[in-house]
Amino acid sequence: MTDQRDVIVHLDKITKRFGSTVAVDKLDMEIMAGEFVTFLGPSGCGKSTTLRMLGGFETPNEGRITLGGADVTRLPPNRRDVNMVFQDYALFPHMTVGKNVAFGLELKGKTRSEIDRRTEELLEFLQLGGFRDRTPDQLSGGQRQRVALARALAPDPKLLLLDEPLGALDAKLRAQVQVELKDIQKRTGKTFFFVTHDQDEALTMSDRIVVMNAGRVEQDGTPEELYFRPQSRFVAEFIGETNLLEGTVRGSDGDAIVIDWNGIEVRGSAHGAKPATGDAVMAALRLENVNCYSTRPQAGNAIEGRIVNKLFKGSRTALDIRVGERDDAVIKAYLDAREADSLPPEQLWIDWDADRLSVLRD
Amino acid sequence: MTRHTRILMSVIYSAFVVYLFVPLALMVMMGFKDSKFIGFPIRGWTTEWYAGVFQDSEVLGVFAYSMTIAVSSTLLSLVIGVWVATFLGPNKFRGKLIVFALTCLPAVIPGIISAISLRIFARFLSIEPGMFAIILGHTVHNVPFVALVVMARLATLPKSHIEAAQDLGADKMVAFFRITLPYLLPALIGAGIFCMLLSFDDFVRAFFLGGYQPTLPVLIFAMLRTGMSPEINAISTVVLILTAVLGLWAERSMRRMNKGA
Ligand SMILES: Nc1ncnc2c1ncn2[C@@H]1O[C@H](COP(=O)(O)OP(=O)(O)OP(=O)(O)O)[C@@H](O)[C@H]1O
Ligand SMILES: [Mg+2]
Repeated sequence: MTDQRDVIVHLDKITKRFGSTVAVDKLDMEIMAGEFVTFLGPSGCGKSTTLRMLGGFETPNEGRITLGGADVTRLPPNRRDVNMVFQDYALFPHMTVGKNVAFGLELKGKTRSEIDRRTEELLEFLQLGGFRDRTPDQLSGGQRQRVALARALAPDPKLLLLDEPLGALDAKLRAQVQVELKDIQKRTGKTFFFVTHDQDEALTMSDRIVVMNAGRVEQDGTPEELYFRPQSRFVAEFIGETNLLEGTVRGSDGDAIVIDWNGIEVRGSAHGAKPATGDAVMAALRLENVNCYSTRPQAGNAIEGRIVNKLFKGSRTALDIRVGERDDAVIKAYLDAREADSLPPEQLWIDWDADRLSVLRD
Repeated sequence: MTRHTRILMSVIYSAFVVYLFVPLALMVMMGFKDSKFIGFPIRGWTTEWYAGVFQDSEVLGVFAYSMTIAVSSTLLSLVIGVWVATFLGPNKFRGKLIVFALTCLPAVIPGIISAISLRIFARFLSIEPGMFAIILGHTVHNVPFVALVVMARLATLPKSHIEAAQDLGADKMVAFFRITLPYLLPALIGAGIFCMLLSFDDFVRAFFLGGYQPTLPVLIFAMLRTGMSPEINAISTVVLILTAVLGLWAERSMRRMNKGA
């Protein structure tokens, strides 16, 4: 997604401190026009603070923010071409839905007929046609969320900021709104900067995910890259479930890196990096990337093991497969329940595609 | 609660209600008595005292005078009170507590002391005793109530509402007038009615700060000195009904506000 599009936002090594807390630490990133970028990270890692600096509600202690090429670091919120959907929606309780949506347009000095037309158009677009004259307390959670979106979209901002806007919705509605939101983003072609601490949400909706930890960017990439090729232990553990293998590099085998893990040779991929022989490394392997066989496969480098634990989880079954002699030499795998039952528990073989075992950068 | 304590409680409560309302009922009754003397027995009924009140241009003039003072001091108190509240509410500064305490002081200083000091102060500023002085006196007294009520309401205004307004292009002023003020409205109605009642009801300040023209309480006081007449009861009854209606309405709008927030 980061191809030839224009850079619309550039966060240039911004730092924000609150007293002795460093909320955002020399954060450096770009956002491309038309992208759906998600900021993903645990609570307190500085997501909201970053978003608020983009919106103009906080000023960075160091660094610069440019929007469409212009420096906006110190511009107040009302003079930025950026709008925000707040976590609690912040709809104005004394105004009707129509008035809420029109608010930003009125302040932009549009004519009455323009305001009416655009309001009507947005309400229609977000399936709020019949709600124009209701007040926010006469709406459901999902409808309020859409009004907040319509209000933020109305002034036609360069960038839309969304701070956990689905947090207040129940699980079912949330899943539905995720799809809607992504669809709206595609149809409007707007740049969305979305904040969440929910990895599923991030994986479902984003063109690009920026994983944040303690005020810094851990990794920046497409959902697939983050999921299958995590670069750090933090990312590997934060997104999805993963096997972490610690070992030493033995050498390489074609594109694959050969690692000695508890005396067993395993093959992985460093995705371009070239760790030296003898380096201690850590590698991540997704549970669903482990293949299991009841007989030794003809080709490849399958490892023999036995099932030490089996856990039925509904859509899949989790297996703990011990390989080799040591107690902690265990690989976890997710299988379909029927497939898991058909395996001989005392002797089976496992393998994986070498590029699914990601050697972590640090 | 046992049965007995419950019965005891309701007896005590009923006694309280009787104690509260019998004097008022007596006052209202005497206003309809067909005789110049207040007291029992009542031999006949009449509405002539009421008719007299509504035709007495002096009483009507005084009523208008009191109303003017009440409305003016209320409006002034609302403006200053909102200003104090929005200044004291969100801002953090050294000595905030002291400023807050100073603001609240006029509400608790005994009326007579405040009245005398205001009288001296007014003379010092060469403000003639009269309407203007009374309005200022009532305003000083009312501002703390407005500030307290508005601050309480302001504390419940989500910060995100103001931020959302700014985000959509409002500067601080526009955000205040289009978001904060409408949000404060129920509090302002409640506080405003309360101020009106305080001002309309005030005797001490009006007495010390007033000129030749009396306010209604001062007039009633003057009439009492020349002898108790059922006309006073009639005036009092009209005032009673007006204030009760206003007070109940204020109470209701405050309760609504607390529920609605
Ligand atoms: N106004 C403030 N004053 C002091 N500290 C603050 C302030 N705002 C944020 N912080 C601190 O900065 C850090 C980052 O906060 P931030 O709100 O950006 O986290 P977040 O990633 O959005 O978390 P969450 O997922 O819980 O919303 C936290 O340690 C927080 O306590
Ligand atoms: Mg947050």
